[in-house]
Amino acid sequence: MKPLVVENVTKQYADKTAVNNNSFEVGEGEIYGLLGANGAGKTTTMRMVLGLIFPDEGKILYNGKPYSNEQLSKLGYLPEERGLYPKVKVSDQIIYLSQLRGMSKGDADRNLKYWLEKFEVPEYYNKKVEELSKGNQQKIQFIAAVNHKPQIVIMDEAFSGLDPVNVELLKSTVKELRDSGTSILFSTHRMEHVEELCRNITILHRSNTVLKGSLKEIKKRFPRERVILGTDNAIGGIERIAGVTGVTRTEQGYDIQISMESAGAEILKLAMEQANVNHFEIKEPTLNEIFIRTVGDRHE
Amino acid sequence: MNSFWTVVGFTIRNKVKGKAFVITTLIIALVISIGINLPYIIEQFDKGDKATNVGYVQMAGEDNQSTGDSLKAFYEAQENPSIVMVPFEDQGDAAANESMLKKAIEDGEIKGYLEFGTELTDNGFPVMTYKSEKLMEFSMTESLQGSLILIRQANILKDAGLSNEQMAQLSAPIKIDTVQIYTGEGGNEGSGRTPQEQGVNMGVVYVMIIFLFMAIMTSGNMIASEITAEKSSRVMEILITSVSPLKQMFGKIFGMFVVVIIQVAFYIAVILGNASMPHNKGALGNLDIDLSLVDPLLIIYAVLFFFTGFFLFATLYAAVGSIVSRTEDLGQAVMPMTFISLAGFYIAIFSISTPDSMLVTVTSYIPLFSPFTMLLRLGLTEVAMWETLLSFGILLVSIYVSVYVSAKIYRTGVLMYGKRPSWKEIRKAMKAYKI
Repeated sequence: MKPLVVENVTKQYADKTAVNNNSFEVGEGEIYGLLGANGAGKTTTMRMVLGLIFPDEGKILYNGKPYSNEQLSKLGYLPEERGLYPKVKVSDQIIYLSQLRGMSKGDADRNLKYWLEKFEVPEYYNKKVEELSKGNQQKIQFIAAVNHKPQIVIMDEAFSGLDPVNVELLKSTVKELRDSGTSILFSTHRMEHVEELCRNITILHRSNTVLKGSLKEIKKRFPRERVILGTDNAIGGIERIAGVTGVTRTEQGYDIQISMESAGAEILKLAMEQANVNHFEIKEPTLNEIFIRTVGDRHE
Repeated sequence: MNSFWTVVGFTIRNKVKGKAFVITTLIIALVISIGINLPYIIEQFDKGDKATNVGYVQMAGEDNQSTGDSLKAFYEAQENPSIVMVPFEDQGDAAANESMLKKAIEDGEIKGYLEFGTELTDNGFPVMTYKSEKLMEFSMTESLQGSLILIRQANILKDAGLSNEQMAQLSAPIKIDTVQIYTGEGGNEGSGRTPQEQGVNMGVVYVMIIFLFMAIMTSGNMIASEITAEKSSRVMEILITSVSPLKQMFGKIFGMFVVVIIQVAFYIAVILGNASMPHNKGALGNLDIDLSLVDPLLIIYAVLFFFTGFFLFATLYAAVGSIVSRTEDLGQAVMPMTFISLAGFYIAIFSISTPDSMLVTVTSYIPLFSPFTMLLRLGLTEVAMWETLLSFGILLVSIYVSVYVSAKIYRTGVLMYGKRPSWKEIRKAMKAYKI
């Protein structure tokens, strides 16, 4: 039984459909990526999972059971925008929020200290949230989402507003959570994070699921269309090979666009005839490219 | 249930620990203390010149002298005279007299002096002039005038040959007692209230109405602004995913109620503490308050209406707070609530001398007014049991409705952002949620 199952959910607002027939499952110890352009329905989907709003159609199951107050304590939520009391001390509000989800005061306090230590900010225990910088507030927000040891965590733009060092810190923490068995529903606009963290993804576009499945399979579905070639000397005649659609000269060699994969072998053969080949790669499409193509294609 | 108390505890702790709350409470306590001690403080400054010394010259000539001396005798006969007449020897001529009296003023011996003309006028007294350094001594001349009228009256009556008894009879005050009676069934003599009981009841009603109004105004605004603040800081999204909105709302209302009770208890303690200080004992004694005269049933009613009234307003304030998404808009949104509570308060306060008016009777059945006006009727008139029950019943039903609607609005409103939603949007969204 998967911890989180979303089945054919549809949510209609006054005159528009926010989410249309969306389904996915998040397994134990899995980070599931929910991608989409702005306004695609990611946040609405997450809110439905959280029980903030109810789907018009379809159902959401938590360990096979429908939504109830009992499920609340198993959920953790990291909202896109800051959601903390600005004028309340960090310790007071984290312990309060954990207590609301059924944790004892002592446990909540212990966990909070563990997390603050982990994020190297133990001195924030007695600080008010408004005194902290945006990035540090995000850390506290993160702690608020995971302090009560939830089984399912929903993270909406978890790494926004953080510097690269802290992004790494939080990313490794998210991986630790995953490895300890937590199911994480994850949304972001940073495709490289998704490639690094997620096994399965859904790309939403204008309320509809346009792409869904494991990241590997999705990538295989998209043809490899780019060849990186590194050589000592210039190579003549690449553009004449059948299937080559564009050639760009770079410092180290060439960046070649192809329309069929067989052209790759031809390019290598040609290059080896004329010079020393230092580097040859037929590149997989990045998720970024896939995203832009999937979402961009349908833009018109 | 557990998380309910967590919300209550968190609400109380944050409020009571807040600087703004502590400071305003202390300032109000200070104002109360000053208010209670004010009579005593004024008395301290006032003591020296309680009686004003007024000089006059005992001039030769019977009429002049007798006027001054009879004034002196008149004031001396009083228990707490406001004026003391100080006689001075005649120096022989007017200029010398004048300079002597002026010197006396300078020395602080007298505040001013009365000069008499030589001739008697039609009113039986000589022309008189009161001279002092101060301008506008109307109260002084009025006091002297009043005394002279009484002196003249006494003189004429004496001349008319009335006996002392007859004179006493003429000046004896006339009194009419009032006793409130109940004409309905079971009305016997015992159910009437003496004026003293009425006075004490009026005091209790007054105090309870003011407390209810204060509790509603302060806590109502606090509840609404806290909810709006939670909403605008988006902590609401986390709260709603942690604990059911109903628990959250009532936890907040109950927590705020406890805060208000703490605050009111503190004020009462300040009042009692100040009032029981030895120097204030006398002043309170003068007011003639005997708390044992308070009808215990009235206290029960007062507490019941206080609780229900508070709860009704608090739920509505919570609903208003949850509709608004920015604190800047809150003032405008709570305006109707503020007006309603103001209206209830003023109807009750201004009708305290006419508790049986149609306005009070009608409003005592209207839920948002009844906590004020029904209490007024209960305290100051006889109200049949069915009337009380009807009013209270209507109040309870309206609380039930308001809790239901407020909880719905709360559940819906806390997730609505952007512009203030229209009624249509709220109604539509409300249908979508189970509480």
